[in-house]
Amino acid sequence: MKAFQQNLKQLEAADTQVLGVSMDSPFANKAFADQIGVTFPLLSDWGGDVTRQYGIYVDKYKAARRVNFLIGKDGKILEEQIDRDAIDPKKIVDACERKKLSR
Amino acid sequence: MKRRDLSTMLGVWLLAAAIVCPQVRAQGNQAQGNKPEPAPLTLNVGDVAPDFKLHYFDGSDLKEVSLSQYRGKSNVVLAFYIFAFTGG
Repeated sequence: MKAFQQNLKQLEAADTQVLGVSMDSPFANKAFADQIGVTFPLLSDWGGDVTRQYGIYVDKYKAARRVNFLIGKDGKILEEQIDRDAIDPKKIVDACERKKLSR
Repeated sequence: MKRRDLSTMLGVWLLAAAIVCPQVRAQGNQAQGNKPEPAPLTLNVGDVAPDFKLHYFDGSDLKEVSLSQYRGKSNVVLAFYIFAFTGG
């Protein structure tokens, strides 16, 4: 999440809204956001319905996998990053900038 | 006669063992195999991302956010993370 915060200006300049999602409560997520200085919303998927809908619920941990989805303005998925790859947002930032240039 | 039955049985057992054992071993090797590849996602690039309505707490109120509110306006990065207060 911190890595996205560091790239937030670039992402916003490329018309991109960042949303974190976890199965924590909204209040835990707010405390987490404050602690690490995240200014974009951290959404609470309490109960995990959306996590399951996106096919990334891990039964063993009762939590989501670490996954980034980049979704275009048409609602379609443009990029995916899974597990360890999802920690570095460079691929997502690059994809957004490419889209900006190609417009 | 009885003796012949017995040796036939033995033959069948040996044959069965010869067929099953290498398979079991092959499975074992596979399980031990190299680093497990991350399981692929069910949603692929090009798929329509399922809409959702979720909430976040802005310090005073719970705010609702849906994916569809960004349709036609901006791209969205959905960053799923495992738990609050963990790295990444």
